[in-house]
Amino acid sequence: MSADEQPGLYVESTIIMTTVRAVAPFVLTFALFIMFHGADTPGGGFQGGVIAGSVVMMLAFAFGIEAARQWVDVRVVSALASGGVLVFAGVGLGAMALGGQFLQYNVYEPYYYEASKYGIELVELGIGGIVASVAIGLFFLLAAGFGHVTDGEGEP
Amino acid sequence: MSLSLIEGSLLVFVIVCAIGTALLKNTLAAVIAFAAYSLGISIIWLVLQAPDVGLTEAAVGAGIMTILFLIALANTVNRDTDRLFESIRWRTVAFVAAFVLVIGATVPSLPAIGDPTAPVVGGEVTQYYLSNAYKETQVKNAVTAVLAAYRGFDTLGEAVVVFSAGVVALSVLRREVFT
Repeated sequence: MSADEQPGLYVESTIIMTTVRAVAPFVLTFALFIMFHGADTPGGGFQGGVIAGSVVMMLAFAFGIEAARQWVDVRVVSALASGGVLVFAGVGLGAMALGGQFLQYNVYEPYYYEASKYGIELVELGIGGIVASVAIGLFFLLAAGFGHVTDGEGEP
Repeated sequence: MSLSLIEGSLLVFVIVCAIGTALLKNTLAAVIAFAAYSLGISIIWLVLQAPDVGLTEAAVGAGIMTILFLIALANTVNRDTDRLFESIRWRTVAFVAAFVLVIGATVPSLPAIGDPTAPVVGGEVTQYYLSNAYKETQVKNAVTAVLAAYRGFDTLGEAVVVFSAGVVALSVLRREVFT
């Protein structure tokens, strides 16, 4: 199969589309559960982020990669990735600003109920954002194929 | 060392999948065998009571990796072949067997699963985490406590590595993959 035949990659199937439409909300909910609940049960940002990223891939398999690419907003994906790093670093540096050490969660204690726990959950959410958006980015990157890169550069 | 029925069948399944991944001629079949292998390993992690690792293996190994392999495969030329298996090179088999033998020789010296006298359980650091994690971080999952609190700086480094790897891959390949 050559790169020119790429539209043939996608097979429109009512069964797959209907299944994905029914399953995707639950997968996304599960991903958020894994992320939010990582503090008390197995899981956390890395695992939840990967599952959240796989929702987009599921949609791409059901409705076509091109359709999914147009549907996903690049600004949201890059904001998730860089926002995740900023949130993580921000929680760490915020603790230093309050007179503690880097990522010393209990200095937030006077400001918020169970601050250590929610600080950790915030960090997990940040990790989830990074992992999900990088997974989505890699998926679209590979799906676009490498054959086009040299072709595209030669043309203009 | 005795295996329960479920452990034994999982081990056989994982080994068959691993050999299938190595030997199957058709790349698509090999990728699917590899996904099955990852899924088997993730269930083994669950049986060994390491649910965090199992969840990661299932999501990353069986999920994302398989999708990325499939997508990469779709962009390559797949030669049709009548043969089901690769031709076996005996020199490679001998080398792999020797490697497995060396690694396998270390297995009997591992402590039994769940052994309370294993060195890692009695270790000062392990005991500190187990007895202080909830008090100090208000997090019931000790794995999360270590990852996000005690070793938080390392985890920040890992997250930044993932982030920069993604950014670099997207910018080096210079593809406008999003519209």
